[in-house]
Amino acid sequence: MDTLARIKALAAKEFSIDPNSVDPAAPLDALGIDSLSFIEFMFKVEEEFGISVSDEDLRGIKNLGDLERHVAAALAAAGKA
Amino acid sequence: MAARRVAITGAGVVSPLGNSTAEFHRALAEGRSGIRRLADELARDSGVQVAGLVDWKPESMFTPAEAINIDRVAQFAIAAASQALDASALDLRTANRDRIGVYWGTGMGGAQTLDASFRRLYAEKEPRSRPLTVVMAMSNAAGSNVALRHGLRGPFANYSTACSSSAMALGEAMRTIAAGRADAIVAGGSEALLTLGTLGAWYALRTLAPADAADPAASCKPFDKRRSGLVLGEGAAAFVLEDESHARARGARILGFLTGYGNSCDAVHISRPDRAGQTRAMREALAEASLEPSAIGYINAHGTATMVGDVVEAEAVNAVFGEQSSASAVRVSSTKSLHGHLLGGAGALEFGVALLALEQGIVAPTGFLEQPDPACKLHHVPIKAQRIEPPRAVMSNSFAFGGSNVVLIAERP
Repeated sequence: MDTLARIKALAAKEFSIDPNSVDPAAPLDALGIDSLSFIEFMFKVEEEFGISVSDEDLRGIKNLGDLERHVAAALAAAGKA
Repeated sequence: MAARRVAITGAGVVSPLGNSTAEFHRALAEGRSGIRRLADELARDSGVQVAGLVDWKPESMFTPAEAINIDRVAQFAIAAASQALDASALDLRTANRDRIGVYWGTGMGGAQTLDASFRRLYAEKEPRSRPLTVVMAMSNAAGSNVALRHGLRGPFANYSTACSSSAMALGEAMRTIAAGRADAIVAGGSEALLTLGTLGAWYALRTLAPADAADPAASCKPFDKRRSGLVLGEGAAAFVLEDESHARARGARILGFLTGYGNSCDAVHISRPDRAGQTRAMREALAEASLEPSAIGYINAHGTATMVGDVVEAEAVNAVFGEQSSASAVRVSSTKSLHGHLLGGAGALEFGVALLALEQGIVAPTGFLEQPDPACKLHHVPIKAQRIEPPRAVMSNSFAFGGSNVVLIAERP
């Protein structure tokens, strides 16, 4: 499964949404993901991928597409992808 | 006398005796115990052998995400409160929810969450805790989740006075409604702390009963010569308390009225119970309800089955109600023998036991009371439930570590 699909699958489980209907460009709050939920979600994303996203980078993430790019970069930096 | 009468119009239960009032009442009427052995590993690591465990399937009312993001103590709260609201038939779509509140009680709040967080840091050496740890573990999360679930925007309070927490929530909710500050309040309490960390701490107190060798379900024996301590339990109970005029206007079924609330502190010792403090709380509740002791037909005792505690409570009851040798004396039982000690949830759950006597004349027994301790001179209801003419009023006692004593009185409609 590619990175975005894994993120979508995690989001589907965490927020009880249909992974097939998730638009990666949609703002997080449009998906019903508030800031607290997102922080908890990020914790699970970091565990799933074995990476760490800084507080500064976290503030720049506005949708799941942004998140995918950060995860991919972190995986590349760690030599995992 | 309260300015406005406070009606009880709904009840809900999550308990070791079942997860509905119907199941709870049936088990009480049968004198059946919900106490059982803890899982082998938990028993071995904590030293605690038995507990009153809830048979809980979160998926029955929570999504997978909710089930892991809402602590067990709050799941119990939401379930009990939803049952109570359903039973009350209060239509939240049309009610003014700015005038409906939540008053909750819990001793330890999100103990499972806290335990898991500490386990990560201390045992698993993970670098950090789950981000939701704070909002899942905080003491008020259970009550807040009830308010959130139903959009109840009226007065909110959370009481944490160990074993009297939820009784205090009921009493204070009564006063808030009586003062005209709310039309209705969902009041109750919950506890879910059967974790390794908490069990280990309780074990160290040397106040827990070991498993009964012949029958683990019979490990808790209040008022019996053979009693050996309390058995911890988990669960929740909730009630819809409502301004009588509000309840009447919508044609609600009224189960009873909450009319008396006594609250005192021993201020003597951090854990040892005190007869004078308990006596004051019972007398205060009677005075608030404007009732003579003879009006009380049943007392659900605190009765934890500790050697000291049961005698002190019996003496306090004797001090308020007089000699207890005659057949006409007030019946007293401790149902902790059947459901265990729900700590912060105990007061609310046991108020529900008292209501069963008030409503249906079914007096739940003190389970396994085969050899009454002569030092506890009470009109016991041993082993088997008794059917009586529904009394005019019933009392429920909750006496806590820290010296907090809360006594509630309910009266027939």
